[in-house]
Amino acid sequence: MVISPVHYIVAPLLAAFAIALLSKIYKNAARIVPGIVLFYNIVISLVLMPQVLEKGMISEVIAGWEAPWGINLVLTPFSGFLTTAVSVIGFAIWLYGYKFKVRLQGGEVKYYEILQMMMIAGSLGVIITGDLFNMFVFIEIVGITAYSLTAFYRHRDGAEASFKYLLIGSLASIFLLMGILIIYTQTGSLNMAQIAERMPMVPQTMKVTALIFFLIALGIEAEMFPMNGWAPDAYSQAPSPTSAVFAAVVSVAGVYALIRVTFTVFDVEGVHQYLIVMGFVTMLVAEISAVAQVNLKRMLAYSSLGQMGLVLIAFGIGSHLAVFGAIFLMLNHAVIKALLFMSGSYFIYNSDDKRLIGLNGIHKRLPFVSAIFSIAAFAIIGFPPFSGFWSKFYILIAAGDENMIFLIIGILMVTIIELVYYLRTVARIYFYKDEVEHTEHKPSINAIVAMSFLTLFIIVIGIYPNLITGYLHQAADSLLDKASYIQHILK
Amino acid sequence: MMEFSEIFFKYKDLITVAVYGTAIMLIIIGLYGVLLKKHLVKIAIGLTIMDSGINLLFVAVGYIQNGTAPIFSPGHEGDAIRMVDPVPQALVLTAIVIGFAVTALALSLIIRLYKHHHTANIDQINSLKW
Repeated sequence: MVISPVHYIVAPLLAAFAIALLSKIYKNAARIVPGIVLFYNIVISLVLMPQVLEKGMISEVIAGWEAPWGINLVLTPFSGFLTTAVSVIGFAIWLYGYKFKVRLQGGEVKYYEILQMMMIAGSLGVIITGDLFNMFVFIEIVGITAYSLTAFYRHRDGAEASFKYLLIGSLASIFLLMGILIIYTQTGSLNMAQIAERMPMVPQTMKVTALIFFLIALGIEAEMFPMNGWAPDAYSQAPSPTSAVFAAVVSVAGVYALIRVTFTVFDVEGVHQYLIVMGFVTMLVAEISAVAQVNLKRMLAYSSLGQMGLVLIAFGIGSHLAVFGAIFLMLNHAVIKALLFMSGSYFIYNSDDKRLIGLNGIHKRLPFVSAIFSIAAFAIIGFPPFSGFWSKFYILIAAGDENMIFLIIGILMVTIIELVYYLRTVARIYFYKDEVEHTEHKPSINAIVAMSFLTLFIIVIGIYPNLITGYLHQAADSLLDKASYIQHILK
Repeated sequence: MMEFSEIFFKYKDLITVAVYGTAIMLIIIGLYGVLLKKHLVKIAIGLTIMDSGINLLFVAVGYIQNGTAPIFSPGHEGDAIRMVDPVPQALVLTAIVIGFAVTALALSLIIRLYKHHHTANIDQINSLKW
């Protein structure tokens, strides 16, 4: 069998529909099938990534229609890197959630797994598609499954969070359609490479109008301020493994879509400055809001928005080193935030309290999970022995190269805010006394394996960053080299 | 008696303006409903109206005066120049299906919200705040 990029999307989608049938025959199929499929996605990455790195990119034609007319899938080193990361982290989250789902209140395991598989399939689709309308369809797949998963627990807040998310997501999709329509009338194409080729001929006013629509629509998906009010609600109300998927997979896909459109499709001056400013505002507002939170998951969600803001700043700087740092940070954020949600949800589960007060002195009951959470917290702040240090370090150096002194000061100040609320949380875990008696739920063995694997990744990459910097440099090159993207797809 | 196509040609600019104007009016009316109405069902209706507006806009963009269906058939090879653009129509079909799914989901969420809160007023449903 020949492995091609289309399998990334087809395998999870097929699995999502097969689960419904298979679980009629064998009850546990709903739990096992997603693991097999995500493992298969990792295998696809292992087979395809060497080819991608050798050839520059792989372009896959769907249904025999050549690139400008049909839909094509593109695996560049950048998108390939992200699909690999998404598959590996998706697999870890599946492993983590394998036993967790037994305790779901209300819903059934199979519905949860079907929605989760479709969400991952949609995110992978957003990352590898080369067609603007196809990207819209995948964003809608991610959106609809994400709304449903947010409302998965049948209590009142879930429905409220989900409705907010649905409302803002639908507005995003309408703006996205407007942008696509303007682009289509001006260039007569939906293929990203062809649009990019014809973009210099488009009048400036049309270009800017379309870009504004895209920035609003994709800004909502990429959690950019001020369109990110849905995120903390959705993160905190969704089932715990889903919160991890939101942070690690969906936000990555959103940022990728935003960056692909602004970097490759459009050639408007000033969009980089816009990304820097909005990224900075996003980061500042999110981190300050995070300090004020009393609910652990909401705090993590706001921290997630802050990290996405930093990613946008780094992409906005736009030099090779900055883009390199941004992709590194996307990877780090996906791994570390998934880890924080994984360990954090064990705290919540053990303390019968979603608030931070529930963490008091929890290290006595959950020593392993506490250690993992602390390592992840230090890593996301950017302490040296962990991988989070390198991404922030490279972004700061890139900002220094461009003489953006105020940006460096801003990022460091926001890091101090980050330091405050993460250290406060870690201090609660280790140094506060807890008077109340609690029920005890030890983490299951699969969850321990999944969390240890991701923790090991943070530490190994923190000590030997050279293991992945080669890939990251190629990914950054491929994002910045617009001409070869166009040339390769249109031949 | 004028043929329909004659009337159409006489007023074609007016009709084009009317179609685009209707589409944009629908989007604005829908946006108004989404942003300013307090009732959950009215918000959902606003979303649907916006969807209709954008779909109409898509179809209008692909339309050609006096065009034919974009199907090649024997004896009509010369018609290619008069064929309407099929791409926006394909896009609209997809967008309609997606809009349908989102509306269905929105209504089911509204039912659940109503069951929990016994009200459909969005101001009274505020358990989640910043």
